[in-house]
Amino acid sequence: MLVDDSATMLMSIKSVLTKAGYGVETASHGKEALGKVTGGLRPDLIISDVNMPFMDGITFAREVRKAAGMRFTPILMLTTESEAAKRAEAKAAGATGWLVKPVAPEQLLGVVKQVVPGA
Amino acid sequence: MFGLSRWLTPRRDRTAEPARPAGEAISRALSPLPAYCDVMAAHLKDVADYTEEAAMATLERMQQVDALAGAMADDVDGLARAVDMTQRQLSEMGESNSRLVLGLIGYFAQRDRRVGVLVEEMRDLNRHVAAIEAVSRATNVLALNAKIEASRAGEAGRGFSVVADEVRQLAEQSSRAAHDIGSSIKELTDRLHLAIADDSAIDTGAAAVPELEGASGEQSAITRRLLGVIDTQHKLTEMFTGVLTDTVDAAGRVAQTSSALTDSTTGAVGEIQFQDISRQMLEHVGVAVEEVQRQVADVVGYVEGERAEQDLLTDLSVDDLRERHVMARQRVNHAAATGQAAVAVALPAIELF
Repeated sequence: MLVDDSATMLMSIKSVLTKAGYGVETASHGKEALGKVTGGLRPDLIISDVNMPFMDGITFAREVRKAAGMRFTPILMLTTESEAAKRAEAKAAGATGWLVKPVAPEQLLGVVKQVVPGA
Repeated sequence: MFGLSRWLTPRRDRTAEPARPAGEAISRALSPLPAYCDVMAAHLKDVADYTEEAAMATLERMQQVDALAGAMADDVDGLARAVDMTQRQLSEMGESNSRLVLGLIGYFAQRDRRVGVLVEEMRDLNRHVAAIEAVSRATNVLALNAKIEASRAGEAGRGFSVVADEVRQLAEQSSRAAHDIGSSIKELTDRLHLAIADDSAIDTGAAAVPELEGASGEQSAITRRLLGVIDTQHKLTEMFTGVLTDTVDAAGRVAQTSSALTDSTTGAVGEIQFQDISRQMLEHVGVAVEEVQRQVADVVGYVEGERAEQDLLTDLSVDDLRERHVMARQRVNHAAATGQAAVAVALPAIELF
């Protein structure tokens, strides 16, 4: 699942992942994404922005960890944010990794294969 | 974001001091600035919207190009496989035809040899014919002698009897010679028939060709023509194979180009992330413009006596601006603009916890 308030980011990253053979669900902010998870969606991987309206990515990650069956689902934060404190906060919230925008498609796919080997 | 109008509403403060003459000029000078900031904010938003619109359109175009490149790669792959199959079939057909023609050459060569042997054996029949002729001549002579002896038939009987015996022996020899001739003719006829009917050498005759090629003087006209057919076919096969090989090579190059094109479009799709980064930068500038606008509105309100001094935004600082930056690039740019030392960011761009 891909979560970002930027339509450009959603389209760009979705295009890269789709071309690599992954099915992609999208959400425009953390609240919408959390609604999908609580609604039963169980993605193999979540890639989320940090700074978003309604619910930021770190809060979203924290809430996702509370959902049944989502304790070990990889959550990658894909953001322009470069503050070490934010990164530590995301780690504490249960994020699996941190990627700073812009990320090259081959690098993104490399990380995806690393955290979801079987997908 | 970019919603600045809330700062433009004048706030009347009953406790504010009356307007001072010196401040009227400042008020007039600053009054247009909030609206000015509104327009700038609107432009910033428009730039963000416009780049997003353009980025989305570009993404769609690149996805179309990517799809076309993929379809082209599939087509080229199909063409390459079809050409490769044609090449193999052509090669197999050429080899099959060569085997057939070599077989025909062998067949005709073997037939020529057999017919040659038969001709020699037919010539041998002359020996039998000569024998018959000799017997015939002797019979004639004996017949004449018998006739003479018969004319003296005084004591007929004894001499004629001797002649009659000789005639009988010669007749027997003639009979045997005739029989031999008949047998030889039958045998030759059978063998000639077999040589014509037997085409097994077409399948085995190819093995005999190398020795024929080595002795070109023994090649018949038809053998030379058939060898010419093989040579022509080899040339045609080489020509078609060359064309097909060139086609396969060209298809391979197109496939490589298509793959490179796909890689480029994928890379370009990744580069489109610039728009999101630019949008966030513009939003931060918009917030800064908003604060400038608010400060200006407050100053105008103050000089017009509508706002107390304590209402002025006194804690506006360029350092606050730096604190709100989220990108390393923004911080570096801020440091450069303010003459401060840039803080090095040692964190990796990608980190797995």
